[in-house]
Amino acid sequence: MKRPWGVLLALLLTWLVVYPIGLILIEAFRADGAWSLVNLREFAEHREEWGALWNTLWISFASVALAGVIGIPVAFVFERLDFPGRRMLGALVALPAVLPPLVGVLAFMFLYGESGFVARSVQVVLGLANAPWRLQGAGAILLVHAYSMYVYFYLFTRAGLARLDASMLEAAQSLGAGRWETLRRVTLPLLRPQIAAAALLVFMTSLGSFSAPYIFGGGFRVMTTQIVSTKLNGNDGLAMVQTAMLAIVALVGLWLLERGRGARNVAVLQKGAAPDAHAIRAPLARWGATGLGWAFALFLLLPHLTLLVVSLVPRGTWTTELIPPAWTLGNYAALLADPERLRPMVNSLWMAAVATVGVVLLTLGAGRMVVQRKARLGRAIEALTNVPWAVPGTVLAIAVATTFSVHAPWVGRVVLIGTLAILPLAYLIRNLPIAAGSILAGFRQLDPALDEAAASLGAGRARTMWRVTVPLLRPAILAGAALAFATALGDFVTSIVLYTYHTRPISIEILSVLRGYDVGQAAAYGVVLMLISAGAMLIGTRR
Amino acid sequence: MTAPFLQVEGLSKRFGDHQAVADLSFTLARGAMLALLGPSGSGKTTTLRMLAGFEQLDAGRILVEGRDVTPLGPAARRFGMVFQHYALFPHLSVFENVAFGLSKDADRASRVAEVLRLVDLAGFESRSIGQLSGGQQQRVALARALAPEPRLLFLDEPLSNLDPSLRERTRAELRAALKQIGITTILVTHEQEEAFALGDLVAVLKDGRLQQLGTPTELYEHPQNQFVATFVGRASALPGTITAPGRVRVGDVDWPTAGSATGAVTTVVRPEDVVFTDSGLPGTVVERRYLGGRALFRVSTAAGTLEIEAPMASAELEAKVHVTARRSLSFNRDSV
Repeated sequence: MKRPWGVLLALLLTWLVVYPIGLILIEAFRADGAWSLVNLREFAEHREEWGALWNTLWISFASVALAGVIGIPVAFVFERLDFPGRRMLGALVALPAVLPPLVGVLAFMFLYGESGFVARSVQVVLGLANAPWRLQGAGAILLVHAYSMYVYFYLFTRAGLARLDASMLEAAQSLGAGRWETLRRVTLPLLRPQIAAAALLVFMTSLGSFSAPYIFGGGFRVMTTQIVSTKLNGNDGLAMVQTAMLAIVALVGLWLLERGRGARNVAVLQKGAAPDAHAIRAPLARWGATGLGWAFALFLLLPHLTLLVVSLVPRGTWTTELIPPAWTLGNYAALLADPERLRPMVNSLWMAAVATVGVVLLTLGAGRMVVQRKARLGRAIEALTNVPWAVPGTVLAIAVATTFSVHAPWVGRVVLIGTLAILPLAYLIRNLPIAAGSILAGFRQLDPALDEAAASLGAGRARTMWRVTVPLLRPAILAGAALAFATALGDFVTSIVLYTYHTRPISIEILSVLRGYDVGQAAAYGVVLMLISAGAMLIGTRR
Repeated sequence: MTAPFLQVEGLSKRFGDHQAVADLSFTLARGAMLALLGPSGSGKTTTLRMLAGFEQLDAGRILVEGRDVTPLGPAARRFGMVFQHYALFPHLSVFENVAFGLSKDADRASRVAEVLRLVDLAGFESRSIGQLSGGQQQRVALARALAPEPRLLFLDEPLSNLDPSLRERTRAELRAALKQIGITTILVTHEQEEAFALGDLVAVLKDGRLQQLGTPTELYEHPQNQFVATFVGRASALPGTITAPGRVRVGDVDWPTAGSATGAVTTVVRPEDVVFTDSGLPGTVVERRYLGGRALFRVSTAAGTLEIEAPMASAELEAKVHVTARRSLSFNRDSV
């Protein structure tokens, strides 16, 4: 009776997430309508292709190392030490998370770029004729990655520390282990699942990172930028091979890191309460810690502030001065008054909203199936919702572009490229794992007896869903939806492959006004994006 | 005179407004087993944690063999501890858990094997913690604490995580194992039965203060105050007046009593010391509960409710009866 719906959902998800990626892998071995190794040969013979692949790999591993080195100690400081302002600073420290990738890159450009505030200050102070540095290449990319991705290590490690059983640490001490030995032999091994999960997330995000290399790469090639430029240059065959290569690297990385997480489920055995934060008593150390905390938070806030400042600069007024000479709210006024400026905002908002509603409905259906059928179908559906997470955004964008550029309904392909539907659909697919992660976890926490209780009181399936399930899932739905909405709103990598002039989203418009040297307008878009994202996150995390 | 093995002097601890432990002092001979007994919030766990070094003292000293260990951290005290939830390291095997506190020398493996044999878990070395039952985990925790040959062993509610059916057996095994090694042990429990079965000595705590320390028999037969008398074993407390040395009047009835109290008192009687008579305190049977071959009756009287242990057939529910006590213990009203 219920089975057809489950099968239907599984088929729909397969068509949306597996089929496009499979097509890429097939198309990589085809040219001119026949099987061929031409594209593969073209890839293999080019030095820069291998170079880009290598760069992508090492940048990703370096990002993991760097983000971990920053994020893990910061998490220990905020979870274990108590000092004035700890609670507020602890929240501020997660701020980089509210910057959409392209907006973060933009802010870094205005702040640390060759004509950014920091470089200008150095130039003025030292009396230099030219900018002291250029923000370009691998170093610049790593800087952006470390800034935006250490948050994963920070949040995951903190969550792990908060769940740690204090008696584990006391047990180690009573067996004669000192502080460092306890950290090395007990605390870190117990945090391994969280640290491995953060490492995996940073690795996957770096692998798919597009904005930073696109803006700061210069001559430094990585796979994501290679793919997009090949695709935009019309060499579809080579783009397929590049995309396939990146997908394979992602899957291998995923597999390796998943193994590193460790099979033993260590969380189950931890029953006691977490250790209390250690209050710093000495006044000097106390205020020193607070001062350092604020300095760190300020450093993290600088990009946001920079964006705000630059958004007040009228077009063409800021050339060589340290501080912009003129200020205006005109950039914000233009966003609303000029229909051509307003257009991208309207586009982004409705496309993100449609994608979010779609993805929430889809995951609600998936949630029912996963909870009700613990057997194979449920597991398959859950796995399907996770697939888009395992491939970089560029791969997904190319895959969707390829699948929906041909009219062949009998094999599940229709032309959607150039229509209003393509971007919301791509956002929806890309955000499946985000929404599913939150909503499926919510479903798991529901007591199955509640369904039965509602049924025994005479409620039908629909009534149970609306009166019992959805209200109980509200926090999970809100969190998943907010995160999905914010991600779709700030999307750059999918959009750049799939947009048309009429459906151009904010990120694409930012790029185009930046090309016209209208930094104030670009920053104003960035601020608006940042505020909407922050607002969505705030709503999503409210309990 | 040689100093006692463990000397605790004036231990005190305050958490904000709450005095968790107040001026606690006692001594313990080598090889003795002491049970800290008290209701929740009585300060027994805080005491144990201060002894182990996990909690800073506000005042007091702890001496082992005459040497002050108060300034030492937990790692330097060489005390073993079995935690309430065992705190076994889930990322390590049984062997690695037990070997955690041992230095990496040649004797390590044989020492691990030795303590595992002691707790009857020989051959479990390579198991992971998740594969063990609750009782096995408890024994691994014990083996881990014993492996480095600590001077003192602490057990925090050692049996509270076990099924009731397993508890009684484990209790006997635990005591036998610890006595075999001869290690000085302090354990915390809120169950009187457990304290009496495991401890050579029992210290009763209430509101952070030591009420009485003695052997189980001493506590039961000669409680020093009303709290100990009613907390240790079953007892009913009734208001009375001392009429003559060794006599207390409750309602219109006199019965024998012990204790040095005079005037208005609270008199405490144990169920086995109360009997049904023809001319005692009048009352009504309000409850009858089976206890093996006998029964526990609750009789409501004008002076208060009394518990009586007597043969089943002694009275029916709702029956009007008379009761009196053969033995009692009286305390002045203010001595609670």
